[in-house]
Amino acid sequence: MCLGIPMQICEINGFVASCEAKGVFRDVSLFMMQDENLKVDDFVVVHVGYAIQKITSQEAQTAWELYDQMIAAD
Amino acid sequence: MTVTASQWLDRIRALPLESHVKIMNVCGGHERSITMAGLRSALPGNIELIPGPGCPVCICPEEDVYEAIQLALNENIILVAFGDMLRVPVNVRKSDTRTLAEAKARGADIRPIASPVEAVKIAKEHPEIPVVFFAAGFETTTAPVAAMLVEGVPANLFLLLSGRLTWPAVAMLLESGEAGFNALIAPGHVATVMGPEEWQFVVDAHNMPAAVAGFEPESLLAAMYSVLRQLTDGRYFLDNCYPALVREGGNRSARRQLEEAFVVEDANWRGVGSIANSGYIIADKYKAHDARRKYPNYASEARKRAGEMPPGCDCAGVVLGKIYPNECRLYGKACVPRNPIGPCMVSDEGACRIWWANGLRETAKPKI
Ligand code: SF4
Repeated sequence: MCLGIPMQICEINGFVASCEAKGVFRDVSLFMMQDENLKVDDFVVVHVGYAIQKITSQEAQTAWELYDQMIAAD
Repeated sequence: MTVTASQWLDRIRALPLESHVKIMNVCGGHERSITMAGLRSALPGNIELIPGPGCPVCICPEEDVYEAIQLALNENIILVAFGDMLRVPVNVRKSDTRTLAEAKARGADIRPIASPVEAVKIAKEHPEIPVVFFAAGFETTTAPVAAMLVEGVPANLFLLLSGRLTWPAVAMLLESGEAGFNALIAPGHVATVMGPEEWQFVVDAHNMPAAVAGFEPESLLAAMYSVLRQLTDGRYFLDNCYPALVREGGNRSARRQLEEAFVVEDANWRGVGSIANSGYIIADKYKAHDARRKYPNYASEARKRAGEMPPGCDCAGVVLGKIYPNECRLYGKACVPRNPIGPCMVSDEGACRIWWANGLRETAKPKI
């Protein structure tokens, strides 16, 4: 339950961002990210629908490789 | 230059490690990565990796799950909970309702959710029905629940909170004098939210190496190398091996929201008992949304029996890192993911389930 997933921000509307990962779109709350200046195209790590931290695209890529393996193993 | 997993393994093998070392992790995500990547068998034989208290579903008090089941069965409410919680069994007779999933099958309106945002949405869609959100989880999950409250929720949304902090469980183990490990890998996403500083006590108060790790094998191996190297060098510190996410002070707005919405208190852990300063309760400011205040008759003091796991289940030993999952008599026999006896076989973060799902079928203690 403590595992966050990296997603890319496509659109920001107040505290809600439409985010994408691997073609899947989700509304993500940015309410916990008020100390960060987030823009469209930035990457965030999302946990239970909330962005918990900003990351670089490179880091997002590495994390996704791991999750792909996890999903394949399930 | 990035160091690959096999390079980290080479570095670990090259360390002049003389004694047997036990490294504990306290995160179900870490245990999953370690088991999936087969890190136990890849490491030298004198390094043991112990899964510790890393599963919030496993340690959610039995009386809280019971309370949620009874509320859902007896009140005209909608109960929402993270999906994992629906299959956690309580200790009642087989003919009684043992899980939220069974309560749902018996007609209670229980809905699994994946985000606090969904709880708000359901409450808005049914303004005339009280919606109770049974929220169990460690800091990474409890912080979004706090954010949800602070942002504002409908009047008909109530929180049955079972949030827990991870570091106090490690502090309790270390203070017991029988910790059974020599080094700690601290949880990456908990530290992302709360800051790595929370784990400094492991070094300062207990003279033990510690490193925060992410979830890729490279990050876990870097953290293992760090703590092993600290042991061989005899110089201990808290290393941050997950700098991509873990920053000084953590996520400050998340921490502010946690502080505003909740208060930290001593709390019960299933199978373990009370741990000092390890639980969140709802702050007075948000008491109108406290399910325990709205429905006070469902919390039963009589059910608070510390050490209460289902009969025959050794989850308490597994959670505290005293035994490995396959040392439980029921592992893979009476207890499998399809028919779990204890919470450690229910949750994706439970060590029993992780080991079983990754094909660990032998019931003897593995050679590690
Ligand atoms: S195998 Fe099942 S019964 Fe045994 S400790 Fe794990 S969850 Fe409990």
